[in-house]
Amino acid sequence: MASDGNDPDEALLAGVGRGDPSAVRTLLDRRLPRILALSRRMLNDPGEAEDVAQETFLRAWKQARAWKPGGARFDTWLHRVALNLCYDRLRRRREIATDAPPEQVDTGPAPDAGLLGAELSRRVEAALAALPSRQREAIVLCHHQGLGNIEAAGLMEISVEALESLLARGRRTLKASLADLRGAG
Amino acid sequence: MMSPEMSEGRFEALAETYGGEIARWPEGEREAARALLAAQPERLSAVLDAAAHLDRLLDLAPAQSVDAALLGRLIAAAPPAPNTAGRWIAGLGAALGLSAAAFAGVLAGVAVGGHALPVAAPAAATQMANGRVETVTAVDMSNDLQDAIEEPAEL
Repeated sequence: MASDGNDPDEALLAGVGRGDPSAVRTLLDRRLPRILALSRRMLNDPGEAEDVAQETFLRAWKQARAWKPGGARFDTWLHRVALNLCYDRLRRRREIATDAPPEQVDTGPAPDAGLLGAELSRRVEAALAALPSRQREAIVLCHHQGLGNIEAAGLMEISVEALESLLARGRRTLKASLADLRGAG
Repeated sequence: MMSPEMSEGRFEALAETYGGEIARWPEGEREAARALLAAQPERLSAVLDAAAHLDRLLDLAPAQSVDAALLGRLIAAAPPAPNTAGRWIAGLGAALGLSAAAFAGVLAGVAVGGHALPVAAPAAATQMANGRVETVTAVDMSNDLQDAIEEPAEL
């Protein structure tokens, strides 16, 4: 996926490569929260999300001096590295789960219908975590990360039609599992 | 100019796929969607409202605030600015037609009585959030990560 020559991070990345501390700080302020949020929503685990975000940026630092302008946009590259790291961890979880099945995530309504903000947030997070990982990835990339359909499909290495199918199925499942929250949100 | 036409079914499918904000739908379909909405505001606003409700719920899925310790570790691990000695070596080496590393090796060899020192990539130990310590090479010019990102295996 080539950039259109307007990568907003290119100059900052060159600064990082030159060892400019203000470029490092600005790039982290701009991109670290996005990558952390992506990892958190993919993995549903704050500690693992932090590890993935850290590893992603350590790889970016290694890449900074050799970055080729005109290639992938830096934000897209960060997303791809982070997603690959998330998938490594999800795969490891799956291998462990074959030995010891994990606790089932309860996505059903709580006994008390009057849900508070934190509880509502937990319900949505659990419902998102219960989706098949590719559906979750599609929703996180398009809804939460705000990527366009072509960029998200490119990152997932699928067609736009396949992305739309994952999005629609994921949203339908979420709608059903959160149906009792009609008055909330 | 007339807007391209869109069926109600396509409008509903797009709302179900991309949510209740037409601005987030594929760019090429927004104009037709807005035209259809203007023609049938009551029915199609209800379609958008239903999709927007799920959007608002999705917005409640927690993100994560950046921990100061993580920020500190990443700032500490960022590439350092070349120091004055490094720039002097690189400049003098370039004048002599040698790479900085080769010229540094020559200087080091002279310093230890004719035995060249190996030039190793600098490494840094980094504390992970879960307490593990991982060693990373701080500078690795030989790897082109843009081309060599590992692909995830099929889940």
